Amino acid sequence: MTDPLSELPDEALGRRLAADLPRHGAPARLRQTIAVAGRPQSVVTPWLSAGLAAMATALALLLFFVPLLPRITPADPVQRLVRAAVAEHTRTLMWGARRPDVIPTALPWLTQESGIGLRQVFSGDERLTLLDAEPVYLEQRRGIALHYRDEDGHLLTYLVLPAPGLPMPDRQRVQIDRWRPALMHDGGFSVWVWKQGDLACLLISDMISETDLGHFRDYFVRVRVATEPVPAH
Amino acid sequence: MADSEFERQAITHLDALYNFAVYLTRNPPEAEDLVQETYARAFRFSHRFEPGTHLRAWLFQILRNTFLTFYRLREREAAVAEDGVPDWDTPMFHDAPDEGSGAMEAHTDLERALRRLPEEFRTVLLLAEVEGLPLEEVARVMTCPVGTVKSRIFRAKERLRVLLRDYEKR
Repeated sequence: MTDPLSELPDEALGRRLAADLPRHGAPARLRQTIAVAGRPQSVVTPWLSAGLAAMATALALLLFFVPLLPRITPADPVQRLVRAAVAEHTRTLMWGARRPDVIPTALPWLTQESGIGLRQVFSGDERLTLLDAEPVYLEQRRGIALHYRDEDGHLLTYLVLPAPGLPMPDRQRVQIDRWRPALMHDGGFSVWVWKQGDLACLLISDMISETDLGHFRDYFVRVRVATEPVPAH
Repeated sequence: MADSEFERQAITHLDALYNFAVYLTRNPPEAEDLVQETYARAFRFSHRFEPGTHLRAWLFQILRNTFLTFYRLREREAAVAEDGVPDWDTPMFHDAPDEGSGAMEAHTDLERALRRLPEEFRTVLLLAEVEGLPLEEVARVMTCPVGTVKSRIFRAKERLRVLLRDYEKR
């Protein structure tokens, strides 16, 4: 009776591996494919590389100039403001929340920098965490931005900018409790827009599904109830 | 070395490479893809091959690196079993036929046990014992010192015995 494989010493086990494992020969079609692929490609025309180089140069130039082309800016001032707010929100998303400033200590500085005072501020709750606050400059206006993150990881930006005379888009307005903010969309983001006196307030997030919008609506209420921005000067 | 001579010599190792690829992927259609990709890379980078060194080891090295590249991609997506051995039934290449159309069945306990070894153990046994590569060449393929190759061979066999014992009990 032969020893079981598990009892074989190293050398014998090595020999059994070499002898007993079936060898798999390459299929003929694989051999043929590789032989064909390896053949010198004399059919490649000499101008091809020059052509490719020219195309690459043209593409590089195009990519260089694309950012310099004027962007089509919406004529509607609210839409323009929304676009700028979304850009600001995207910048925050890309760079992350920077300094977790404690609002009470940062308020005087923020008010001075942004020209917006916050009599009351929503400083977070069990659903939303306040990440930081910072002054912003959008559409030639100084303003203030507060960033929150919800339990599901969505980043929310609350923006306040002076906007006297900004018309509210009637068609997009939604009744929520006693308020009627406008729900707008831009570039895959949802934005609540409302006015408090001469200030335009915006709440931006990437929440676009029906369920998410339900939460977003709730976040609007939380922020709206607990935040009271006023012009500082 | 002229291109045509390089290609001629490279193709003489096709069977060995394919055999290695089959044991790595455990799936002949995937093994074909892997070998094809290996040769495509070898031909493209033939100028980097140093004449006088062993072409076979160089090709094995390309094949293994290619495998690991795709394997790591797949590893991120595929479930890994509790013992850390990846789920080999998941196709390695995204466009490869799925398991039902090509997965290789193991016929012996030795094959089954070998299949369950982690890649670095499997590779070292396949190269050193099955293909008979000198330890220096195995070390080159695996980009590690010869001492590491020796210890891997030792540990691979230890682990192989444990797995074989499992099968023998049944």
